[in-house]
Amino acid sequence: MNEAVFYFITICTCVFALLAVTQRDIFHCALWLAMTLLSVSGIYFYLDAAFLGVVQILVYVGGIITLFVFAIKLTAHIGVKSIRQTSKQWAISAFITLILLSILFRVFAKNPWANIQLEHKSTSVVQIGQSLMANYALPFEFMSVILLAAMVGAIVIGKVNK
Amino acid sequence: MIPLGYFTFLSAFLFCVGIYGALTRRNVIGILISIELILNAANINLVAFNKYLGSPDGMGQVFSLFVIAIAAAASVVGLVLIIAIYRDRKALFTDGFTLMKE
Repeated sequence: MNEAVFYFITICTCVFALLAVTQRDIFHCALWLAMTLLSVSGIYFYLDAAFLGVVQILVYVGGIITLFVFAIKLTAHIGVKSIRQTSKQWAISAFITLILLSILFRVFAKNPWANIQLEHKSTSVVQIGQSLMANYALPFEFMSVILLAAMVGAIVIGKVNK
Repeated sequence: MIPLGYFTFLSAFLFCVGIYGALTRRNVIGILISIELILNAANINLVAFNKYLGSPDGMGQVFSLFVIAIAAAASVVGLVLIIAIYRDRKALFTDGFTLMKE
């Protein structure tokens, strides 16, 4: 039962991700990306990382996908059918990607940790909050600076110069 | 119980799909979508290793939180850049971005 859930989520993730990069209409791509991110949050729930799954849904599906939809709608005419959406080198790109994928699979299959099955106690939200405030306080503060910089940068770049 | 290797396979597949999309798309928004896929592949690895190898302070989950925040910041700046370029040059495909060549 438990394993069936994992395989179901995995197949969903892979299919949605493939659709997100191959669909013609960019708006459909954004919607498939939303489905992919939802499936990834399902994987987080499967791995007992409930907090991370909720954050994924809130930030990605609630925030980033909305931004993508806005950007697509603000730059309207690109969904036109007659315009080619992929570059001419798609065949060689697919070839290189397949080589990379086979190398990665081979490396991962040979590694000694590939068959680890022992489970540890799942990380609780309390623990995440404590380590954010104690061990990882410095990266946490840097993160707020980065978000502030992104916000200011977005306003400055997006401003219409008269 | 699923062995740890399966999660790394899944994340490698997602990563390669993202790489393929970033290489082939002509549309800049499509490239950003592919980059989001790549970041999610990294996150899956972090969370899976956190679960299977254990970490006293939940390092993997904390760092995937950071990755999500960085991804949000990156996509905000990227989309604003795209809209600014579109307003300026009416170009959305990578072939049209020739500002540095002129």
